[in-house]
Amino acid sequence: MTTNAHESGPEDRRITPADLHGVRFTRATMLRPGYVETEVDRLVSRLAEEIGRLIGEKGQLRDQVRALQAQLDGVVTPVAPSEQAVRILASAQQTADNYVAEAEEFSRQMTGEARAEYEEQVRLARETAGAIIQAAQEAAARVTGGAADGGDGARTAELEEQVAYLKAFAQACRVQLRSYLEALLTDVETEWGRADPTLLPQDVIRTPAQRSGHNGGGAPATFVANTAAEKPRTVDADVVPAEAGPKRSS
Amino acid sequence: MDIPAMRANFAKAAATGDEAPLYFYSHLFLSHPETRQMFPVSMAHQRDRLFQALGDVVARVDDLDALVPLLQQLGRDHRKFGALAAHYPAVGSSLLATLEHFDEDWTPELAKEWSEAYTLVAEVMIAAAEEAADQPAWWDADVVAHERRTIDVAVLQLRPRAPYEYRPGQSLSLETDVRPRLWRYYSPANAPRPDGLIELHVKARDGGPVSTALVRRIGIGDVLRLGPPLGHLTLDGESDRDLLIVAGGVGLAPAKALIDQIAREGPPRRVDLFAGFRTEDQIYDRIDLQRLEQQHPWLTVTLAVSEDKTSSLEQGDVGDVVMRHGPWNSREVCVVGPAPVVDDTVARLLQHGLPRQRIHSEVFAPSRPGPDVDGEVTE
Repeated sequence: MTTNAHESGPEDRRITPADLHGVRFTRATMLRPGYVETEVDRLVSRLAEEIGRLIGEKGQLRDQVRALQAQLDGVVTPVAPSEQAVRILASAQQTADNYVAEAEEFSRQMTGEARAEYEEQVRLARETAGAIIQAAQEAAARVTGGAADGGDGARTAELEEQVAYLKAFAQACRVQLRSYLEALLTDVETEWGRADPTLLPQDVIRTPAQRSGHNGGGAPATFVANTAAEKPRTVDADVVPAEAGPKRSS
Repeated sequence: MDIPAMRANFAKAAATGDEAPLYFYSHLFLSHPETRQMFPVSMAHQRDRLFQALGDVVARVDDLDALVPLLQQLGRDHRKFGALAAHYPAVGSSLLATLEHFDEDWTPELAKEWSEAYTLVAEVMIAAAEEAADQPAWWDADVVAHERRTIDVAVLQLRPRAPYEYRPGQSLSLETDVRPRLWRYYSPANAPRPDGLIELHVKARDGGPVSTALVRRIGIGDVLRLGPPLGHLTLDGESDRDLLIVAGGVGLAPAKALIDQIAREGPPRRVDLFAGFRTEDQIYDRIDLQRLEQQHPWLTVTLAVSEDKTSSLEQGDVGDVVMRHGPWNSREVCVVGPAPVVDDTVARLLQHGLPRQRIHSEVFAPSRPGPDVDGEVTE
C-alpha cells in the first residue's frame, strides 16, 4: 500500500481526504485476487478512530455554540442611539432643567422677599415698642417724682402694667409676623413640590403649628412678668388662621 | 499613552460648554436606560460638574500620585449612588461616543487611547469600591429630634441604624426621599458619641431644595441616607497647642464638634471660640454654647453680630472682633463658615503674623460640590 501517510508515522497524523484518494493497495498474490488484507484492515481501523474523534469534537463544538448562544440571548446588546434620538432627549432634558431652575428661582425670590419683609417688620415693631416703653418710663418717672415719696402707687402700677402690655404686644407682633412668614414659606415649599410632582402624594406638608411641639424650647424667654407671659398666649390663638395658608393653596 | 493628543481631543469637547455633557448623558440614558434613575430630575448642575471633573482627571493623568487617591475616593463615594462595576463600561462607551462626536479629526488610534485610559480609571474606581465593600454603601439614619431654632435654622439629631464612624470636623453627604438623588454636605456638630447620635445644623437657603426641605418638611421619624464621611477640617491629634476657632453662621457645627472632641479625648488645651452672626436673633445655639462654657473652664465663647446695632454683643465682622481680642500668634486656628467670613478672617490672621500652615479653614458654600468624575455627585 502506498499513501502519503506512510512517511510520517500513521498514528500522529490525521487522515485527510487527499490521503484516501491517494490510497493504492498492493495486489495480494497472483493466486488470490484483491488487496492485502492486513493493509485494508489497518486503514479501516484508522478511519474508525478518526471518525470517532470527529464525532466527539463535533459534540464539543455544538455544546460550545449552545453556551455562547445562551449568553447572547441573556444580553441585550445596546444599540448605539441615533443622532436624532440623542438630540430629542437632550432638548427634553433641557426643557425639564429650565422648569426646575425657574421653580427654584421663583422660590428663592419669594423666600428672600418674605424674609426681608419679616426683618423689616420686626425692626419697626421693635423700634415702636422701644419708643412707647421709653415714653411710658419717662411718664412714670415724672409721676413718681411729682408725687414726692411714693404717693401715687396705683398710677405706677398702672403704668407698669401698660409697659408689660406693650412688651407683650411687641412680642405678639413678632409671633404673628413669624406665622405669616411661615405660611408664605410653606406655600413656596408646596410650589416646589409641584415642580417635582412624583413626590407630592407621598406626604402632606406639615404646617408650622403642627411642628411647633418640638421647637418651643428654642425661643428665648423675653418675659419675666406673668401678666406679660399670658398675653401672647391669646395672640397665639389668633394666629391659628395662618395655618390655613397651605391648606388653601393645596 | 499619547497624552497631548488626548488632551487636545478633550479640549474640543470641553470647549462646547453644555453641549458635550448634554450629548453624553442623552447618549448614556438612551443606550442604558437603567442608569437614568441614579440621577436627579434636573441635570443642569450635573452637567456643569461632569466636564469639570473629567478635566481634573485629564489634567492629572500624568501625575498618578495625585490622580489615584482622587479616583479611589470617587470610587468609594459612588457606591452610595448605586453605581456597580457593570455601569462603568456603559459610561465609557458613551464617553467615547461623545468625544468622537465633537472631534472631526477623531481616529481609531485616539479611540484606542481613550478606551485604555478609561479602562484604567474604571479599574481603580471599581477596586476602591470593592475594598470598601465591608462598609455599607450608605447608612440609613432616623431623625430622632428636629428643632426649629430660628426662622431658617433647624437642629436635627440623627441616629444611624448601623455604626457610622467619622472624625470631628468632617462632613457627610446626605439624601432625603423628598428630594431624591440630590446629595448635600453637612457637618456633624458633635464628636462620635457612645449612643451614636449625630447633630446637624441646617440653614434653609432661599430656593435651596434640600436645605429648605430639611428645615421645613423633614420631621421626627423621617429617614435620611448618609454617605461616607469626608473632609479635612480635623485636628492634629498630636498637637496640644491652644486653639482659636472662628465660625460664621452654621459653621458653628464643625466648631462644636472639635470642642466636643477636645472635651472627650483631650489633650487639654485652651480654646477660644468666636461665633459670628448677622443679628442676635440668628444665634440659634446660644443656650448650648452657654452650657459648654460653664462646663469647660478651658473654653471661652465670644458671640459677635455684624448687622444688629441694638445688640449688646460684640459688634462687627467676626474676623474684626477676633483681631480686637488677640494676640493669637501662638495658636492653631480653625476658620469655618461662608466664603466672605472665611476669606476675611484668614486674611486678617495672616496679616496678624500667623503662619499659613497653622490656619485650617473650610468654606460652607451654598451648595458644596463633592469630588467627582462621572458627575454623579450633585451639589
